[in-house]
Amino acid sequence: MTKLLEVNNLTMEFGGVVALKEVNLHVSAGEIAALIGPNGAGKTTVFNVVTGYYQPTKGDVLLNSKSVLGLKSNKIARLGLARTFQNIRLFGDMTALENVMTGSDSRNKVGLVGSIIGTSRSRQEESLSHSRAAELLNFMGISHRSGQLARNLPYGDQRRLEIARALALEPKVLLLDEPAAGFNPQEKVELGELIKKIRDAGFAVLLIEHDMSLVMKISDRVSVLDFGQKIAEGTPSEIQNNQKVIDAYLGVVDNAS
Amino acid sequence: MSSIKIAFSKFNLRDSFGAWWENATKKQRIAFRVLLIGFFYALPFLDNPILGTPETNFQSVLFYPLAVYVAMAVGLNIVVGKSGILDLGYVAFFAIGAYTHAILGTFYGVSLWFNIILGAAFAMIAGVILGLPALRLRGDYLAIITLGFGEIVRIVALNLEITGGAAGIAGIPAPPNIFNVTFDVLDPKPHYWLMLTFIMLVVWMYIRLGKRRPGRAWEAIREDEDVAEFMGVETTKYKLWAFILGGAIGGGAGAIYSSQVASILPDYFTLNVSILVLACVVFGGMGNIWGVVAGAILLEYLPEKLRFLSETRILFFGLLMVVMMNIRPDGLFPRKKREKVYDKVTGQEISR
Amino acid sequence: MDFSILWTEFFGLTLDGIVVGAIYALVSLGYTLVYGVLRLINFAHSEIFMIGTFTSLGLSIVFGFTGLEEPLGIVLFLLVFLVMALASGIVSGMSAVLLEFVAYRRLRRRGASRLSSLISAIGASFFLVEFYRLTTESKDWDFPRMLSKDPIFSISSAYFTLDKIIILLGAFGLMFGLDRIINKTRLGRGIRAVSQDEKTAILMGVNVDRVISFTFLVGGVLAGFASTFYMLFYESTKFNVGFLLGISAFTAAVLGGIGNIRGALVGSFVLGLIQQYSSVVLGYNWRDVVTFVILVFVLLFKPTGLFGEALQRARV
Repeated sequence: MTKLLEVNNLTMEFGGVVALKEVNLHVSAGEIAALIGPNGAGKTTVFNVVTGYYQPTKGDVLLNSKSVLGLKSNKIARLGLARTFQNIRLFGDMTALENVMTGSDSRNKVGLVGSIIGTSRSRQEESLSHSRAAELLNFMGISHRSGQLARNLPYGDQRRLEIARALALEPKVLLLDEPAAGFNPQEKVELGELIKKIRDAGFAVLLIEHDMSLVMKISDRVSVLDFGQKIAEGTPSEIQNNQKVIDAYLGVVDNAS
Repeated sequence: MSSIKIAFSKFNLRDSFGAWWENATKKQRIAFRVLLIGFFYALPFLDNPILGTPETNFQSVLFYPLAVYVAMAVGLNIVVGKSGILDLGYVAFFAIGAYTHAILGTFYGVSLWFNIILGAAFAMIAGVILGLPALRLRGDYLAIITLGFGEIVRIVALNLEITGGAAGIAGIPAPPNIFNVTFDVLDPKPHYWLMLTFIMLVVWMYIRLGKRRPGRAWEAIREDEDVAEFMGVETTKYKLWAFILGGAIGGGAGAIYSSQVASILPDYFTLNVSILVLACVVFGGMGNIWGVVAGAILLEYLPEKLRFLSETRILFFGLLMVVMMNIRPDGLFPRKKREKVYDKVTGQEISR
Repeated sequence: MDFSILWTEFFGLTLDGIVVGAIYALVSLGYTLVYGVLRLINFAHSEIFMIGTFTSLGLSIVFGFTGLEEPLGIVLFLLVFLVMALASGIVSGMSAVLLEFVAYRRLRRRGASRLSSLISAIGASFFLVEFYRLTTESKDWDFPRMLSKDPIFSISSAYFTLDKIIILLGAFGLMFGLDRIINKTRLGRGIRAVSQDEKTAILMGVNVDRVISFTFLVGGVLAGFASTFYMLFYESTKFNVGFLLGISAFTAAVLGGIGNIRGALVGSFVLGLIQQYSSVVLGYNWRDVVTFVILVFVLLFKPTGLFGEALQRARV
C-alpha cells in the first residue's frame, strides 16, 4: 500500500520542553489509522505540526512522498491534508453551506478579478462549489441545516459540519481530532459507521480519539503516544494486549471497553 | 425600560426586508432598484424644509459629507467589516487619491477621469507596501501601524514642496463636461452624481465579491484566521486584497473629492476622518453593506440637520462607539444573515 | 541633513533624551501593564495622560500663578509641585479606572472580540479628546514657570537645570516604587499572576476584576505623575497632547517588548535619545515620522522587542 502521509523522526520542543520525541507515523491509502494516548501525550501537537502550524525542531513530514516542511498551512491543506478540531472551530457567523463551500473553494482556481467580472469559469466554479457542498452536507446527514448559521447548530451537527468542511477540501488524508467527544453511545456508533463510509469513499483517515471501543472497532492500525514518544503500534488486538500500553493508560483501556 | 432595551437589541430590519426581497418577483425587484437609485439621483432636487439642512446648502451637504463618507465607509467596510482587519489610517488612502488629482490635475493637466484611476492605483500601491509586511501582525498592532501610516501621510504632505505644505494646493480643476453636464465649483450636483455613480459601482463590485469565493474567504478570516488557513484559504493574499481594495476605493473617492472642493490642505486629512469613517461602519453594522451605507448617511446627515450635533459630533461619535460596542456590537443593521431552517424529513423550509 | 550640530550638541541632546525618555517611561508602563493583564492595547491611555496635564494646569490657575512672579524657592516649589503631581496622579488614576469600567469591563465579561474592545477604546479616546477640545477651546495652554531654569552645572553642552534633575529623580523614584508594588504587594502579585495565565489565576482565587482595576489605577497614576513632569519640562499643553506622546510611549513599550516592564523602561530611554538625535539631523518636523518608522520596523522585524514576550502567534 502506498504511504500517503509519513512522519519521520519528528521532534518538537517548546522552549526546552519536549512535546514530541522522534515520532514515526504513517497513514496508507484506504486505511483508518488511529493515534491514541493519555491526555497531554502530544497527539494534537502531531496534527499541528503536520498541518504546518508549528515548525518541528527536527524530523520531516511527507505527503505523497514529498516534504511539506516549511510550507504554509493553506498550501498543505490544498495539497491534501484537512483537519477538524478538538474544540469545534467553525465559522460561526456563516451558514453551514458557506462553511463547507469555504472548504471546497480551495479546489477552485478563480481569483478576485474573475469573481468581480463574473467570468464563465467563476460561475462554473461557484455552482460546482455549491453542489459539492450540498452533496457533502447530505453525506453527513445534515442537509436540512444548510441555511442555518454554524453557531446556531446543535452540538452534534456542529461536529458533523466540521467533518463535512474538511472533506470539502477533497483531502488525501483526513485528520480527525476527537470527533466523538461529547457524543452519546448511539451517536458514537453512527459516527464510527460514518468514518468507515468516509474511508470507503477513498479518503485515508488519521483519527485521534479517546473512546477506545470506537477506536478498536473501526481502526485498521493504532499508534500509541505517551509523553511525546510512540510506545506501540499495531492492529487493534495487538494494542489491546500490549503491556506498555496498558501501563500507560493504567487500566483506562479496560474501563472504556 | 428593559423591554425597550430588548426591542432595540432584537429589531432587525434585514430579516423583515430580507424575507420580502426573497419572495419578490423579478419585476418587483427591478422596480425597487430603479426607485431606490432614482431617489438618490433626484435627491438634490428634494431640498425642502423637512429634508433640507437649515444652515448649509443641502446640495453641498449631499456631496460632502454625505456621499464622500458613504464612499469611504463602503470601502472601509471591506477591510474592517468583512475581513475583520482594523484599519485606523484609512484617511491616508483618501489623501493619496486627493493629492493625486490635486498634483497631476493642477500642475500637469491630467483629467480627473484618469486621476480617479491613478488615485486608486497609487492608493493600492501604498496599500501593498504597507500591507504586505503589516498584515502579518496581530490586529491591535496592525491598528497602531495603520494609525501611524495615516499620520505619516499627513505629515509628509505637510512637509513636501509638491503638496504645497500647510497651505496645500488650490485651483484644482473640475473634470471636463460630459453629456451636457457642466462641472462647476458653484454647483455641487454633478459631483454628487459622479460620487453616487462611483458608490454604485463600488457597491455592485462588493456584492459580486461578497457572495462569491472572495467574500467567503474574507468572512472565514474574520471568523477564525487560523482555521481559514487550515481550510486552504490563502489568508495573506485575501487580507491584502481586502486592504488594497478598500484603499483603492478611498483613493478614488479622494480624487473626486479634491476635484469638487478645488483646494485641499493637510488639515483635511487628520485622524478624525479615519475615526469618523470607522464610526459609520460600526454604527451601521460591520460587514453589512446596506447597514454601513445607512449608518454613514445617518451619521453624516444628522449633524447637518441638527445644529447642536454639528459642533459636538466627534464627542457623540466617540460616545456612540463605546455605547454600540457595549450594547449592540453588531451595529444598527447587523450582518447576521436571515437563516433558513428546513424540515429534516420533508426538506421544506420552516417559517419562523 | 546636518550632522555638525549633532556633534557640538551631543551631551545636551543626550541629557534631554534621557529626561524625555523618563517621561515616556512612566507613560509606557501604563501600556505595558494593561497589555499584560488584558492582552489589549489601551488606546485611551494617551488621554489619561492628557487629563493629567490639564489637572496640573488647572491647579496652577487655582493657586494663582501667572508665570510672571519671581521663581519660587526650591522647598516651596517642591511642595507646590508635589501637590500638583499628586492631584494629577489621583485624577488620572481615577479616570483610568473609570475608563476600564465603562469601555472594557462589559465587553470582557461577554467575551467580546478583540476588535470590539479596540473600537470601544478608540471611541472612549475620541470622546475624551473632543471633550477637552471643546472645554479648552482648542487653545495652547501655557503652564506658568515657577522655577528658575538657569543651569545648576553643566557638562559640555549638557546644562543641568533644576527641572531636569527633579524629573529624573522623581521618575526613578516612581519606577522603584512600581517595582516594589509589583513584586511585594498582594495586588502586585495578582497582576503578575493574571499576566501569566488568567485562567489559572482565577482558579487560584485571584479576583481578576479587582486586579484589572488596580492595573489601570497604577498605569493611570504613573501617567498622571508623568503629565506633571511633562508640564514642568515643556510648559504647555493642548487637547491633543496625548496623541503624539502616546504614540511615542507606545513605541517605547513595543521597542522594549510589550508586556515587559524592564523592556518598557529601556525602550523609553532608547527612543528618547533617538528622537533627540534625529530631530537635529533630519529636522524637528520629521521627529514623529521617525518614531512611526521605528515602530513599524520593530513590529515587522522584531515584534517581541528587545526583551519581549513571544506573542506573535496569538491572533485576533
